[in-house]
Amino acid sequence: MVRKSGLLLLIFFLLALGAGCSKRPKTHLPDILRVASLSNPLTLNPLFIRDASTAEAASLLHPALIGFDRDNLLPQPRIISEWEVSNDGLIYLFTLREDVFWSDGMPLTAEDIAFTLRVICHRDYTGPLYMHMHKISGAVEYRERHDSPLADGSISGVRVIDGHSFEISLTEKFASFLTHMAISPLPFHLLGSVNAAALESHEYSRTVTVGLGPYLLNEWVQDSYLHLTANNKYFLGKPKIENLYLCIVPNQETQLIELLAGRLDLLPTSVKVEDIAKLRDDPTLAVYSHLRLAYDYLGFNMKKENSPLADKRVRQALAMTLDREEIVANLLLGFGQVAHGPLSPLQFAYNSELEGMPFNPDWAQSKILEAGFGEYELKLIYNAGNLVRENVALLFKERAAKIGVKIRITLLEWEAFLDALHKGDFDIIILGHGTGVDPDLTYYWHSKSPGNSLGYSNTEVDLLLEEGLQTGDLEERTQIYRHAEQLIVDDAPLIWLYYREAVHAATANLKYFTPHPVSLFYNVHEWSLVQ
Amino acid sequence: MKAGSSMQKFVLRRLAETCIVLLGVTLVTFLMMHLAPGQPLQANPELRLDPTAVERWLQLRELDKPLAAQYLAWLSRVCTGNLGISLLHNRPVLDMIRERLPATLLLTGSSLMLGLGAALPLGVIAAAKEGKPADGIIDFISLCFISLPGFWLGMILIMVFSYQLKLLPAAGMVTPGESGMADLFKHMAMPVSVLAAGTFAYYVRYVRFAVLEILNQDFVRTAKAKGVPPALILCRHVLPNASIPLVTLVALSIPFLFTGASVTEYVFSWPGMGRWIITATLSRDYTVIMAVNLIIAVLVSLANLSADLLYLVFDPRVRLRE
Repeated sequence: MVRKSGLLLLIFFLLALGAGCSKRPKTHLPDILRVASLSNPLTLNPLFIRDASTAEAASLLHPALIGFDRDNLLPQPRIISEWEVSNDGLIYLFTLREDVFWSDGMPLTAEDIAFTLRVICHRDYTGPLYMHMHKISGAVEYRERHDSPLADGSISGVRVIDGHSFEISLTEKFASFLTHMAISPLPFHLLGSVNAAALESHEYSRTVTVGLGPYLLNEWVQDSYLHLTANNKYFLGKPKIENLYLCIVPNQETQLIELLAGRLDLLPTSVKVEDIAKLRDDPTLAVYSHLRLAYDYLGFNMKKENSPLADKRVRQALAMTLDREEIVANLLLGFGQVAHGPLSPLQFAYNSELEGMPFNPDWAQSKILEAGFGEYELKLIYNAGNLVRENVALLFKERAAKIGVKIRITLLEWEAFLDALHKGDFDIIILGHGTGVDPDLTYYWHSKSPGNSLGYSNTEVDLLLEEGLQTGDLEERTQIYRHAEQLIVDDAPLIWLYYREAVHAATANLKYFTPHPVSLFYNVHEWSLVQ
Repeated sequence: MKAGSSMQKFVLRRLAETCIVLLGVTLVTFLMMHLAPGQPLQANPELRLDPTAVERWLQLRELDKPLAAQYLAWLSRVCTGNLGISLLHNRPVLDMIRERLPATLLLTGSSLMLGLGAALPLGVIAAAKEGKPADGIIDFISLCFISLPGFWLGMILIMVFSYQLKLLPAAGMVTPGESGMADLFKHMAMPVSVLAAGTFAYYVRYVRFAVLEILNQDFVRTAKAKGVPPALILCRHVLPNASIPLVTLVALSIPFLFTGASVTEYVFSWPGMGRWIITATLSRDYTVIMAVNLIIAVLVSLANLSADLLYLVFDPRVRLRE
């Protein structure tokens, strides 16, 4: 019996192989686009996104209220069609487009936005968005005193004026507030009666029965694919490609093989730099790239007691040992840009004339001698699975040794790595900082910010960062952030390495794919496949 | 009657032992899991996560309580049949298992059948032709398969059949948007072959050894001397006896049919249990890790028990001690 079944299976395989042999790689059907994704999304609820793959998938189903300009990342109307800010910068009056409908036919109203903000400010909300909303008047009180498990009642600073307009008042000036309004709303008529604590695990997070986005979820086969179909009620117009499959293929090499075989049509973000040259030679494929809103760095732990890294001269000396141009040219093969400071070249406040720490091993040597470094061995940690960071670690070890600084490299898997970061169990770390769209540097650089994991502290910088949020004037903010950036760079709390490029590869048949650093799918409704 | 009651006693005793083993396994798993650095959700500075939200998240899931309290709470939940909710996916673990088990059973089941289906006849041939070229060839093939790591073989197959020849898909179980058995078989071809190669290599040596052992027994020699045709000796006397040790082997491999082959599933992006277990472990999804380990432990214990019971049925030489 067993033998018979085995034989039967063997025959089936041979037949299947035969069927494959006679077929050429699939030609692209105009109504199916297969997009690769590295992991199964954890949720499709836009308020609980904590990783990049989930964010990508969710952005196809949930559009943001605000968009961003491609050139300077300044807020642009999207679902919110216009806004007015009061002279004192405390009151924002928002108007919603009137042609935005949920997929069940209900119009999107200001009530949906007010509900979404209540969820974010509810005590049982555990997503990442409250951090930016606590400056809304009454938000802190709502979080602390609202005792219903439902996100009902009201936040005093959120006032619904009519179906399509609402007003938000802030407790203090918060210049980057508009950028934080790029949230995606939840349908009040569907989820208004769900407890805030239950929203993350609610069926809606998996089924998204009602959506606003360019695509609607048709089927989600766990760990396999998500099948999305065009939403004919999408406010920017029904997408031209009817079916979009988000195919979960957890490794980059396999994604590439599947793209070359015609079984995938688009690899967003996940193309390795060493493969780009080969892809560029293939006339059936197109390669796209743009700077990411993040830089990688070698950070110094300044919280550790008795560490030689508490001495600025040691940090500066180490920063001078690395030639970042060399790293971009040899490790990133040119697909990146040297980072000199914390402002991104994509942000309006970017200072192209900023001079970071120069590459000067001789100077580094004299600074180390001056500081009297001694026999200390520095522990450098980085996470497994990032080849560029691994090579940077090795290069840094070699260069530091030349000025007499010993480095011990420790490779950690991701969770252990984050654990070491939070416990401060390292001297030097290789990691990245997401810059965000606004040049506000508070999250990483204000001494009291929860995101300041390296323990950087400079009172003058703190004051400048607070000042930077007090004015809406772009020129003024630019000057403030450039000044703060210069001070931070002089303190050498870390070595800025590079802004990597996000590299995407797609079939040449895909038209109008113009990736945006904030959202890859912002114009997915315009994409089309030509034969 | 007497035999029946001793059998009952045996089964009850084994079940009691199983409970103790399970308790031990869950406790060790629980401790090891918490000894590993990290936790299910950590503030990731690259993504600007809010550390206070992370604290609240841990609080709502009672992960801030002492370990003993967490373990006891887990134990009392499991005793009522509740395996818990995945910390990262916020879904019942049982639902997640249900979604992934069919894919895994399809993969592991067909490779076991294929591997075993090839190992049985070839193992018998190797034994019957001991020392002859056929034996040498089978021995060589099995040695090759057993020495090749599954992930390496998988990658070579992908290089040849997906990258160079573009014949077979390198990832997943189905081509999204396409359906049909042919598509499924194309996706199965490589991962099943990789797993079947390993299974084949493992079993073929056992079969050969078991058959050889029986072939050298006196009763076989007697049958030969009496002029019984070799094919009849093989079918009637050798195979039934040689299959007894295989029963244990096959029974013990049953738990792994359910847990999948992590590496192969990962290499071929197979949407099954094995890949899910790796992801859950790497992301410290405690409830998933505990549930899966418990299930494996239960299955291994039951498989052991059934192997012992099958011995009682098949092999008259095995008797319970009174």
